[in-house]
Amino acid sequence: MSLLEIATSIDSTSLSTTLKNISWIVPLVQCVHILMVGVVFVSILMISLRLLGGARTDEPLPQVWQRFAPFFWTGLALMIVTGTLLVIAEPVREFMTLSFRLKMLALAICIVTAAVFGQRMRGASRVTGINAPLPAGLRAVAVATLVLWVAIIFLGRAIAYDDSVWGKWSPAVLQRGA
Amino acid sequence: MAAPAPPAFIHAVEHSGIGEWMRSNVLAMPWVNAAHVLCVTLVFGSVLVVDLRLLGLLDRGRTVTGISREMLRLTWIAFAGAAVSGALFFSANATTYWFNTAFRFKMLAIVLAGINMLVFQTATFRSVAAWDRNTPPRAAKIAGALSILIWVSVIVLGRVIGFTKSVDITVPDNVDFDFSAGP
Repeated sequence: MSLLEIATSIDSTSLSTTLKNISWIVPLVQCVHILMVGVVFVSILMISLRLLGGARTDEPLPQVWQRFAPFFWTGLALMIVTGTLLVIAEPVREFMTLSFRLKMLALAICIVTAAVFGQRMRGASRVTGINAPLPAGLRAVAVATLVLWVAIIFLGRAIAYDDSVWGKWSPAVLQRGA
Repeated sequence: MAAPAPPAFIHAVEHSGIGEWMRSNVLAMPWVNAAHVLCVTLVFGSVLVVDLRLLGLLDRGRTVTGISREMLRLTWIAFAGAAVSGALFFSANATTYWFNTAFRFKMLAIVLAGINMLVFQTATFRSVAAWDRNTPPRAAKIAGALSILIWVSVIVLGRVIGFTKSVDITVPDNVDFDFSAGP
C-alpha cells in the first residue's frame, strides 16, 4: 500500500470528513498547535541555553530540566494530538510533501533525544553542582537539537509551499506529473 | 459594487520594490512565512515564562528581575524578527491586509500587549524589591494573566487572517496581488 493510498483511505474516514466539514475546527486546532510549538520550543531553548552557558547559569542543569520538562512533555503531547488531527483532516496534503516527511523525521530524532536526555538527568548526581563539568558532547547535542527544532518549525510552514521550496524533490510535483 | 480604495500609502507599500520582490520571488513567501512563525512562537514562549513566574506557577524561588532580564532580551529579538517578517508579508498584499478585520484586531491586540507591559513596568514593577523572590502582588498576577490572554489572541487572530484574507473583501480591479500565502 503506497503512502498516497494510505492518505486517501484516511481522507475518506468519517473523522476526516467531520474535521473538514466543520469550518472552524482546522483553524482552531492550528492555533493550539502553534501555541504548543511555542511552549515546546522555548522549553528546549532554555535547557539548551543552560547547556551552552547562555542562561540560568546560576541553576544546576538537572534543576533546569525539571522545571521545563513538564511543560515540554505536556506541550509535546498536545502538539502531537493537534498535529494528528490536522493530518487526519488533510492527509494527502501532508503525506505528499517532502516538508512533512522531513519534519516527522526531525521530530522523531528530537523526541528520542529528549527522552534519553531526561533519563540521564534523573540519575544525574554527577552534574548537579552549578559548576560541575558537563559530560562531553552535550553542548553539541544542544546545538543539534536547537537546529532540528528550528527546522521542524520551518518545515511545518513549508508544507503549504512544498513545490516552491523543493521543486522536483517535492512528491506533490511528482504526483502531478504522473 | 465598487470596492473601497486603500489609502495612498498602502498602495505605495504594495507597489514598492520590496512588495514586488515578495510577490515575484517564489521562495520569498515560504521563508518569510516560516521566519514569522518561528519568531511568533519565540515571542509567545518567552513571554509565557515571565507571565507564569508572575502568576507564581513557574520558577518560584528565582527572582522576577532575573527572569525578566533573561527572557525579555529574547522576547525583543524575536519580536523584532516577527515585525520585520510581518512587514514583508504586509508589503506583498498590503491592500488585502489593510481591509482584513482580523488583521486590524491583531494590530490592536499587539498595541494592548504593549500597554499592558508599559503599565506593569512603570507602576507595578516599581515595588519589585518587595516580592522579587516571593509570590507577586495581585496587580502583577493580573498583568501576567492579561499578557497570556493577549498573546494567545494575537496568534489566533494571525491564523484567522490566513483563512479570511481571501474572502473578506472585494479587491479593486486595478490592484495586483496574489493569495499565494496559503492557510
